[in-house]
Amino acid sequence: MLPSTSYTRDRCVTGVHGLDEILRGGIPYGSTVLVAGTCGSGKTTLGMEFLVRGSMTGEACAHFTATEPSVKLLENIRQYPFFDMQLVDTGLINVFDMDVLYSWLGLTKATFELEDVHALIKAITDIVNTIGVTRLVIDSVTTLCYKIKSEQLIRDFLFTLGKKLSTLGCTTILIAEITSATQNAHWSSFGVEEAICDGIVVMGDAERMGHLIRFLQVVKMRGSGHSRAKYALELTPLGVMLTPMLKWGSVGDKSAQWGL
Amino acid sequence: MIEFDQRISEQLSEVSLNSSIQVRVGTSNAFMVTASTILPLIEMFDMGGVYISASRGAVEIIEAFEGIGMPTDRIHFIDLVSSGLLGGTETQYNNITFIDSPIMLESILLRTMYHMRTTPYERNFVILDSVNALAIYNEDRMLAEYLHTFINTFRQREVLTVIINVPDQTPPGVLANLDLYCTDLVDRGQVVIN
Repeated sequence: MLPSTSYTRDRCVTGVHGLDEILRGGIPYGSTVLVAGTCGSGKTTLGMEFLVRGSMTGEACAHFTATEPSVKLLENIRQYPFFDMQLVDTGLINVFDMDVLYSWLGLTKATFELEDVHALIKAITDIVNTIGVTRLVIDSVTTLCYKIKSEQLIRDFLFTLGKKLSTLGCTTILIAEITSATQNAHWSSFGVEEAICDGIVVMGDAERMGHLIRFLQVVKMRGSGHSRAKYALELTPLGVMLTPMLKWGSVGDKSAQWGL
Repeated sequence: MIEFDQRISEQLSEVSLNSSIQVRVGTSNAFMVTASTILPLIEMFDMGGVYISASRGAVEIIEAFEGIGMPTDRIHFIDLVSSGLLGGTETQYNNITFIDSPIMLESILLRTMYHMRTTPYERNFVILDSVNALAIYNEDRMLAEYLHTFINTFRQREVLTVIINVPDQTPPGVLANLDLYCTDLVDRGQVVIN
């Protein structure tokens, strides 16, 4: 009998209810995952819960916020009982304002050039290296990339950042804002993020008779098998919860009748 | 004074936690049969649970239960009715969660699972009241799929599932599926004389 040659990569267990089952155990360590979603789909909460679950097991985590000030972010997220402000106070979760980082680096220009991008990558990786961060969230990479005018430069930025963070053993979630999460949509604003990232998770709203139901779908995850089904998502006091979306939930009225 | 149906408690003593019970009621005896099902679960079997109310607002149900001396502190109510009536969610009870609409079926499942994760009770039940009320808003095929998922989700987690329906107001396809998925039947459906 031949010995088993099956090999599975070590996983970063997200701790998010249902997500690790969808990912067959978690995100492969050191991956850069694009979480692309429409507004109000729960991206920031998912990203924050990913950090909370890691920090609760003693991992050092970092959150770079570009869309809202860190004070506002923490005020919003602390309403969830799963979030414990002690994790921030004890330095397990480190929240950085991108605006503060820009001014710290002297990046006051409206658009970033090559050297500015390299300075930004170095600053982020230095922080990750110094603190020993193993889980990182950048919210959002879309806001950050608005300052980078060239598509090539965005590609270089994300590729270099992802490679360096992976080398440091850091599993990264890049949050991206998209306008549509339905069929034929792009999973990123600039069209390059999705090609570079190791994984893509799409979040959005499915409309059912005028009501919006949040959903999550894993489109790609290098180095791991995963479910490609659509899951309904609920933001509960314990964090994100997922369940498979009903298959007949988005079917038109007539075709959903019995016997048709 | 309400007279509880003792035969229901006798029947319940023979079911296991991973059972799913279809409770058929009539339009006139629905409340009595529902109360006769819940009371032994709480008092005899020391259970806690979730009551999903799609037919009436949770406050009305709580007050009706309290009116017959039935304890409601072990039950968390998921109200699918009151959000549709603006102002209907203002209540003194803190054991009610409101969901926008009975069409948000996945949200109902997730909210119930959330309460099962936080319940202090070792043994739990979930009551879905009722299939015919959900059928007003949801397509038959989707409802059948939902009940299949719902029942299996809680059976797997050893949560006793009680599905209430008025048979002559439930779509035949959904009713046939319920017969298939449920392990036990409490039949108190009204006899219809044409």
